[in-house]
Amino acid sequence: MSYLPFGPIHPALKEPLRIKLKTEGERVVDAEVDLGFIYRGAEQIARGKPWQKVAYLTERICGICSDAHPHTFIEGLEAISDCVPPVRAQYSRVIMGELNRIHSHLIANAIWFLAVEHETLGIYNLNIREKVMDLLEMISGNRVLYSWNLVGGVRMDFKESHLKKILENLKEVESEVYRYRKMFKSDALLGLRSHDVGKMSKEDAIDVRAVGPVARGSGVKFDWRTKHPTYVDYFDFQPVWRDECDNYARVMMRFDEVLDSIKIIRRAVEELPDGPIRKECEIPRGSIDYRYEAPRGELAYIFETAQHGIINDITIRTPTIPNLEACVKHMFRDSPTIADAVAIYQTIDPCIACTERVVIVDEKGNENDFRGMQNVLKELKALKNKKK
Amino acid sequence: MIRDFIRRRSINLGLVMTGGCNGCDIEIVALLSQRYDLEQYGIFYHNNPRECDALLVTGTVAKQWQEKLVELYNKVPEPKAVVAIGACALSGGIFQQETGKVAAPVREIIPVDAEVPGCPPRPAEIAIAVLKHVPPALASYRRKS
Repeated sequence: MSYLPFGPIHPALKEPLRIKLKTEGERVVDAEVDLGFIYRGAEQIARGKPWQKVAYLTERICGICSDAHPHTFIEGLEAISDCVPPVRAQYSRVIMGELNRIHSHLIANAIWFLAVEHETLGIYNLNIREKVMDLLEMISGNRVLYSWNLVGGVRMDFKESHLKKILENLKEVESEVYRYRKMFKSDALLGLRSHDVGKMSKEDAIDVRAVGPVARGSGVKFDWRTKHPTYVDYFDFQPVWRDECDNYARVMMRFDEVLDSIKIIRRAVEELPDGPIRKECEIPRGSIDYRYEAPRGELAYIFETAQHGIINDITIRTPTIPNLEACVKHMFRDSPTIADAVAIYQTIDPCIACTERVVIVDEKGNENDFRGMQNVLKELKALKNKKK
Repeated sequence: MIRDFIRRRSINLGLVMTGGCNGCDIEIVALLSQRYDLEQYGIFYHNNPRECDALLVTGTVAKQWQEKLVELYNKVPEPKAVVAIGACALSGGIFQQETGKVAAPVREIIPVDAEVPGCPPRPAEIAIAVLKHVPPALASYRRKS
């Protein structure tokens, strides 16, 4: 029995995080995760600021799901103020959100293929992703951070030429993704690295509250988009899921979701209604727990507003937190080699920039993260004053 | 002299993410794609600081990184160059506030040879910065010992 640490800087990791693997020879028995390398205190910065500034900040929590964060936050604010944005705005949010999901899933798969040293598929995935990035840049003006959502609507309108280009590029992306999917399915080497590696049963997935493609790869048929008003009213959305429960299922899940997202965008573009893209809303005092399906899974924004849209308190729960636990607790168990542990870690599509949050658990094991956070800060302040 | 000449044509990059939002990092990963194809310029990207010539630093230097970044910089073999990428690395960006936990800018912690502004900078800008500033920085590097 020996311990093998990897990270915070490691060729396989793009972001700093330390994983301590407990090994018996090559076999991984257990693992521990050490987080906290890039904690920036986004929640503390957000406190006491107007919503316009906080929306700008939420976008910079994660650069990959940079549409999902402001999307959730702004829709939460709209839910507080009982304000339904115009239908055209809702449709353009769907288009932007799904384009964001496609690019996130493609880069996730690309990094997985690079992690198992299958460079061909990795570079292919990165290359086809550029088509989607072009669309995002054309629509919003930036490749990564879009500032697309505002309370009561969206920032800009689509032009006819935009819609034409979207359909054109997505046609190309679709045919290529089908091809890569087939390559992944039939490749013997990739099969060795993916089939029956990193198993997590449905019961375990529910037990650790895994979310997103990780949970759906283990047969949990849940997606927050099935409860999202726009998807329910206009898209009759059905989640895709698989029941292989291993690396193969999770990588395949992402390819399937890309194809699913392309279908949704195509439908949104074809049915895009005319009308205004923004309406006036006033934000009253209130609090809410709003959830949305980010590319990696459930994203929760729990916050409280004062008059005129000042954010009093905010808690953000990002999808990688439960997924990382699922990975460490269930997937690493009996991973045949250490190289497979790296491959398993990449299949959960970890985003450490999202994950650096603070969750406070008291002695009895109760999580207090909403009102509790402020109390703890008060106590810390009192302690500081005492020392002075 | 021969070594300097050859080193100009084969630069190994190591990426260090010290906070921020990942946006700059995915733009660096996008450089690997065929559209930009970093390797055609003789630049090889991997993540191992002990083998690299130039360190790409992204992100607001979080408090936990302040000392570790200096240690990491010392582990990079000589001669070495540093490129700071993105608004966060240059000034702390949006996280440089009273309640933020940030030690940016990078240039106050380790010597920086080139800076790429932008939130995030475009991949081509990063490639240009590396191609233009890293070879002269390596050639004019003064050894400590």
